Amino acid sequence: MKHAMNIFQRLMLSLIAISFAVCPAMASEEAANAGEDKSIDPKEIIFDHLGDAYGWEVPFNHHVRIPLPVIVWGSKGLHVFSSANVEHGATYNHPDGTSYRIAGEDSDYKGKVVEIINGEEHRPTDLSITKNVFAVFISVFVCLWLILGLAAFHKKENGHKAPRKFTGAVESLVSFIYDGVIKPTLGVKAAKFAPYLLTVFVFIFVMNILGLIVVFPGGANLTGNIAVTMTLAICTFIFTNLFATKHYWKEILWPDVPIWLKCPLPIMQVIEIFGIFTKPAALTVRLFANMMGGHMIVLVLTLLIFIFAAIGGAAVGGATVIVSVLFSVFMLLIDVLVSFIQAYVFTMLSTIFIALAQEEGHHEKGAHADIEA
Amino acid sequence: MELFKPDFGLVFWMFVSFVVLFVILWKWGWPAILKGVSSRADLIDKGVEYAQSAKQQLDNARDEAAKILEEARRQQADSLREADKMKTQIIEEARDAAQQEARKVMDAAKVSIEQERKQAELQFRNEVSTFALEIAGKVVRGQMTDQKAQAKLVDSLLDEMEKQN
Repeated sequence: MKHAMNIFQRLMLSLIAISFAVCPAMASEEAANAGEDKSIDPKEIIFDHLGDAYGWEVPFNHHVRIPLPVIVWGSKGLHVFSSANVEHGATYNHPDGTSYRIAGEDSDYKGKVVEIINGEEHRPTDLSITKNVFAVFISVFVCLWLILGLAAFHKKENGHKAPRKFTGAVESLVSFIYDGVIKPTLGVKAAKFAPYLLTVFVFIFVMNILGLIVVFPGGANLTGNIAVTMTLAICTFIFTNLFATKHYWKEILWPDVPIWLKCPLPIMQVIEIFGIFTKPAALTVRLFANMMGGHMIVLVLTLLIFIFAAIGGAAVGGATVIVSVLFSVFMLLIDVLVSFIQAYVFTMLSTIFIALAQEEGHHEKGAHADIEA
Repeated sequence: MELFKPDFGLVFWMFVSFVVLFVILWKWGWPAILKGVSSRADLIDKGVEYAQSAKQQLDNARDEAAKILEEARRQQADSLREADKMKTQIIEEARDAAQQEARKVMDAAKVSIEQERKQAELQFRNEVSTFALEIAGKVVRGQMTDQKAQAKLVDSLLDEMEKQN
């Protein structure tokens, strides 16, 4: 007990010491970066961190970024160049006469690569490997490593041995979803949809966790980006409606309600069809908002240090450091939990939506039996 | 705000990545895992079933053994009782035989004793008669000269004695 206390105390002390040592340096850089007037714009910083970028930041440095390929389809066809060419407002002039740059603060395309044609900014078709895209690739590789590793184990042992340690943890995660969510909800059809649902779960979980790691392989706010969650929700939408039963479509187009609710005015049909699209929309927004919220809280807690330092000077800023860091650590730990819960919820809702589209009209048969009886 | 506008490039790459990931895991990932897990579950079920049946068999065998032991004990008791009975019977029979034999011997002895006695009696009578005759002869010699008349007298006397007996 005493030993544990010692470790805890030492940890706290070193945490505070590091905060004091690092934060002034960061603060000065932030201030330098924010502009000459040394005031900070919290909104700008928060959305900068939550958003996408053409390069990947490295810790403690705002000038060096890991360059990533920019792929654009402009007025003269496909162009591929390093993002280092357009960093810090530079303009990239291609040998064929086209020039590209990242649009500035006051542009409609702020922060995006634009082509400059006759002094005007035009947005080309942009398929760049941005920070988020690269993070997606990393997530894919992590997922493949996790799952193919487990699959290799099972191929080798063929059920004669249970995996231990890390492989065992991955398996328990998979089993938790398969036995706890997919099987009870889908029943006999579990095996058919399990590959999709398990992929979704593992992918979201890996993206969530990688998003919480603040340095290079992580730190991209992926699941807090509406494009990512929307793509996943559209996949669920496709799976739900592509494999839907006749009964499901009948319930939408001719539901079991009094005739005046569906005949002259298709009220029920409108509601039901609307419902098809609200389901993926709910999936999109739920995951997006939860993950973005978690990231935003940590960012705000960190920014509080600089805001208070700007108002009350070093002493107040220093005191805020302790409080903010403790709260940030606490929030990040909660975010680890949220990462799991949100991946779980997305998978569970997808499973339920798919299961609802797999109903075979048992109710109708039951109703008939009642009438006959 | 940029955050709420899905970016086409990201949607495109996300979709491509997800489809690739899904196809790879669908082909080489999940089936192997789910099959492995379920075959392991089957193996465990089978193991438990086997253990249960083995236990059942063991219990049965134990019951069987107890039954056999009980049977053996009963048989032992039975045979002991049987043996005891036989022993008693044999002793009884032996005793009977011995008694019969003894009676036979005794009877034979009785008969021979009777014979002996009769013989002895006869001998004794003859001897007595001889003695008596001698005595009487000695006694009567003086009185009687005619030996024939004397013997006739004695004989008649002896016949009388015998009749009296």
